[in-house]
Amino acid sequence: MKIKEIAILLLLVLAVQPAVAVETGTVLKAEVIKKEPFTDAKTVATLNVGDKVNILKKDGGWLNVKSARGGGWVRMLSIRKGEAKKGKSVAESFAGLASGRAGTGKVVATTGIRGLNEEELKAAKFDAEELNLAESYMTTRAEAQSFANQGKLKPRSLDYLPLPQ
Amino acid sequence: MKSVYYKVVLLSGFMLSCGTVYGFDFGQEFNKALKENVQEKIGKNPGAAANVLSGIVGTSQEEEVAIGKQIAGNLLGASPLVKDKRLQKYINNVGRWVASQSERPDLPWHFGVIESNDINAFAAPGGYIFVTRGLYLQLHNEAALAGVLAHEIGHVIRQHHLKILQQSSLVALGGEALSRQVGNNEKVQQLIGSGAEVVARSLDKNAEFEADSIAVVLSARAGYDPFSFPEVLQDIGHIAKDDNSVELLFKTHPHPDERLDKLNVAMDDRLDNVKGLTLEKRFYRINP
Repeated sequence: MKIKEIAILLLLVLAVQPAVAVETGTVLKAEVIKKEPFTDAKTVATLNVGDKVNILKKDGGWLNVKSARGGGWVRMLSIRKGEAKKGKSVAESFAGLASGRAGTGKVVATTGIRGLNEEELKAAKFDAEELNLAESYMTTRAEAQSFANQGKLKPRSLDYLPLPQ
Repeated sequence: MKSVYYKVVLLSGFMLSCGTVYGFDFGQEFNKALKENVQEKIGKNPGAAANVLSGIVGTSQEEEVAIGKQIAGNLLGASPLVKDKRLQKYINNVGRWVASQSERPDLPWHFGVIESNDINAFAAPGGYIFVTRGLYLQLHNEAALAGVLAHEIGHVIRQHHLKILQQSSLVALGGEALSRQVGNNEKVQQLIGSGAEVVARSLDKNAEFEADSIAVVLSARAGYDPFSFPEVLQDIGHIAKDDNSVELLFKTHPHPDERLDKLNVAMDDRLDNVKGLTLEKRFYRINP
């Protein structure tokens, strides 16, 4: 009996916890919070530049956020995700060494994993065999169409965007 | 400095092919040779006169593909394909479907993932597109891959690299010479400079912004979530600027934050109600 109660309590606690760790973001431009992830949905609140939000989930171009001004949906591109900048971890530094890259970006050794800096590209020699291999994987338009069908991808018509000045 | 280097390479290549000797006025002789070449071309094909005289010589699709083939072969010489057949077939399936939504669906499109921990992607004229293993590992779903490929497809369909080659060389190599030869093509190599360095050249900033806006449109047309592409830009923007893996990418492209700004303006609210698929489950994952 007691165990059952604890189990129920545990389930309740889990249910109200967000499934994923909360991601934070900063508002890039004055923006409105919508009730639904659509342009013509009801406006719930407004956000100012620099406001902090908690990002709960994503739907297309919309983020579901919680903020001091209210919760709802905001256009994704108006929010800068506030993740800490990824510095070089110790492991990554070692990976850099293993690939023959010193801090200068110069190749000091070769172990098979190659980088692609300008010097390496300039010195590159034509590899006919590798090119043939690459070309052998070509997909025809018809194959691409059936690949799209398998994924239930439906083409839609949409004009190119005007170029910003 | 860079453009001078190219002119010298091209000039010497051109002179060698003409069998001329050194030790005279480079510029004058080059112009003379160019004029002869142009006149010869007009003679063969009077319809091309307008193009030739306007300074930008029209390039046929055959020539375009021959140039791309040479660049692709060189790039693969620097970084070979990841040896995973299913991965290579998968990226060709996604890429060809996205390219089919463009105005050049019938180019011989080729896509590949290459062995490099750098985060980058490359496009060569005629439809050769390569993504590094490092960039592929940054992607979380098929829509993100589609967006990255669509950006490169944008460079190909708007001929961004081809235009650079045309401007820097002003020389049109005969279409026959370009397309007759299979495999390593010396004439094309002269045109593109050293190795695959042309892919490391910076394009005009606006060409990058244009490719970004094409990326979201082609993704949406293909039925994908168009916002997966700006998410990739956001992720890359979070990588420290001094990280080796983004050295070349950041050198040749505007910073992701600037690209996102421009993309935001271009998209405005036009795609707000577009709901596409991300196909996270179908996404082919590879090991670092």
